[in-house]
Amino acid sequence: MSSEGPDLVCEVDNVQGIVDALTAVRWKRQQDAVVELSEHGVVLIVEESSCLQAKVYLQRELFIKYEYGGAQGRPRFGVSLGLLVNCLNTFSVPAGGRSSSTIEIRYPGPDMQLLLKSVDSLDACIYAEIRTRIPETISWDYNFEPAGTTPLSFTVKSAALKEAIDDLEWPGSSVQIILQPDPPSVTFKGEGHGDLQIDFMYYVNTDLLIAFSCDRQVSYRYKYKFLQATTSNIPSSVIRDNRGSKLTIGRGGMLKVQHLVSVARPSIPHPHVDSAGYQQPSRIAYIEFFVKPEEDESTIND
Amino acid sequence: MELSLSGNAIKTFARCITCLARVGNELAIQASPSQLAFHTLNSSRSAYQSIIFKPDFFDVYTVSGNQVQCSVLLKAICSLLRTPIASIDNLSVKLPYPDASKVQWALECYSGMRKTYWITCNVEPDIQHLSLDRTKFPSNFVVRPRDLNRLLVNFQSSLQEITIIATEQTSLPSDAANEIGGKAVELRSYIDPTKENDSSLHTQLWIDPTEEFLQYTHTGDPVDVTFGVKELKAFLSFCESCEVDIQLYFEKAGEPILMAPKFGLDDGSSSTFDSTLVLASMLISQLREGNPSEPPQAATTTHGQDEHGASQAQHDRCIPNVSEHPSDHTRIWSDLSGSAAKSGSGSGIGTEERQVQGETNLNANQQREMQRISTMQISKAASTRENEPADPNIFHPMEKDHAEEARDGPVSQRHPSNWVDADEDDDDDGDEDEMCVQSTPPYYEEH
Repeated sequence: MSSEGPDLVCEVDNVQGIVDALTAVRWKRQQDAVVELSEHGVVLIVEESSCLQAKVYLQRELFIKYEYGGAQGRPRFGVSLGLLVNCLNTFSVPAGGRSSSTIEIRYPGPDMQLLLKSVDSLDACIYAEIRTRIPETISWDYNFEPAGTTPLSFTVKSAALKEAIDDLEWPGSSVQIILQPDPPSVTFKGEGHGDLQIDFMYYVNTDLLIAFSCDRQVSYRYKYKFLQATTSNIPSSVIRDNRGSKLTIGRGGMLKVQHLVSVARPSIPHPHVDSAGYQQPSRIAYIEFFVKPEEDESTIND
Repeated sequence: MELSLSGNAIKTFARCITCLARVGNELAIQASPSQLAFHTLNSSRSAYQSIIFKPDFFDVYTVSGNQVQCSVLLKAICSLLRTPIASIDNLSVKLPYPDASKVQWALECYSGMRKTYWITCNVEPDIQHLSLDRTKFPSNFVVRPRDLNRLLVNFQSSLQEITIIATEQTSLPSDAANEIGGKAVELRSYIDPTKENDSSLHTQLWIDPTEEFLQYTHTGDPVDVTFGVKELKAFLSFCESCEVDIQLYFEKAGEPILMAPKFGLDDGSSSTFDSTLVLASMLISQLREGNPSEPPQAATTTHGQDEHGASQAQHDRCIPNVSEHPSDHTRIWSDLSGSAAKSGSGSGIGTEERQVQGETNLNANQQREMQRISTMQISKAASTRENEPADPNIFHPMEKDHAEEARDGPVSQRHPSNWVDADEDDDDDGDEDEMCVQSTPPYYEEH
């Protein structure tokens, strides 16, 4: 055990943003997450039954202070996601009525705990310790590879994606995603006691499908409950901002869903925001979901 | 069959579906070139709703052949209407051929999304058709939905059935002395005696139809109808959101009641859609004592046309002991007083303890008038009373009061015992041991 300083000491000034980003990957009440620390930032990974994986990337630029001291490799630890989010939530209530809520996160504590402490309040201090575990399984690297020379991807307004996936609850069980190059369109299809087909046409209203890349027709099936996990807890700020969520189909039909969650707080000056208030990309947390397709649809895709 | 609609018609259409879904589970669709009909029947066969759309309601409406019909689950259509109505640009429905197994419903949204639902048709549809001639109902009233809502607010929100008692409006001019006579309609909560527990709220509400209703037609003997509140409220919100008044047609206990929107169209044109809600009413009248002429029947099915709806005759209420009275009018009063009796009166009226809240729209003046009339009646019977204190208790005992009611004259159609004394809280503490409500003392001096 190294007797030097902690692996990581960092400070975050907008706890609510971190909470939003982490909540986006909560599809179950009880989830074990694996946290990886590196000089680039913090990554949190959750997984379910080898079919669904989600990653939250919190780059170092999100933090107002980030001191990484980990020498060899990347420290990894397991922590309960629900516990972490609930704990962070207590910090996001401003103490003493101040509008900012800056906290310091430190790892590891004397007993390998994760330590959190409020640092900007003059009249009160909130302090928390969270027990961590040695992660039992190596996170299955979903090894996302592009499907071919031309990426198969489209970007759709986050609110529209969530609405479509919520509607697909009615037919239930599995959803087929079909990409067609000509005319450019994306179709979600669910079949059950009734059938539902949702079409996003590229040309009809360019606000809906922001980007589209596809050179041949492809179609894959995904279990509804895993697809639903990718949008069920999107923070309301993402729906309000209504940027795009990007969906990419990789080799073998692996689906990648990417969301952007703003962790910025425009009123507070931040070293990475320029004077015009333009939000640098670094003030955004990246959320990625990987969904494995159902059985081979080789008959559909020649 | 193919149809398509847009704009406000989608909103109306969605409201129709919402209302139908609150009445029944299955939607029967009957399309003919002249109209599109939706109907539903509830599972206990006591409520039937139909909505008729004229072809003008739609942007596109084509039907092949004479008539096409199918039946789908209302829940499925409600699922597809979960899309915010304001975001729908166009809704279209297609049944590709008469015996197709699925109906196609397509929504085009302003956002560019197109959602196409294929809803499976019920294999063995239970398509009933019921049509009642509105002109055959002797009585009816028209009311604004928000006014009826306001009246219903006085009732327990979980109330299942309600009774409307309609009497002939007095033809005497409406002045202070006759204010009570003007309250020709009573709304009363109906609580199944077998299910009653101490926590039910009983409510009686007397209203003046000229004040509360836009129109009121009833002649002859008083009648009452008892029917379900759930469907009434569904139809009420439907009419309210469509901004039309409700017309309720009725005849008497045991006969179905019919509700329809009253479109205020003066130019002779008709609306592009119409709706009818038929509810069965309880066989047992709340006004008559004794048993109904036939034993309560099980719910009958409704088939074919021009048949009255099924009766909801599951209740064989134990009629409280009420002494015989010479006239029908008297009978009403006695029954009303029977229901208002406090258990301490010992007159043998029912065994339940009931808390009656009579809503009065009277102001203080009118209430005093009412007291005066009631005390005039009481004074005659004072000699036969028990050892009462100086201020007679008008609610006690019941049988003696009945004798006065038999006389003619501008007396209240409501038994005075039904009025809850608004000043009862001001009574002396000495009166607390009385189980009945005291009248206001000062006015007895006038006699």
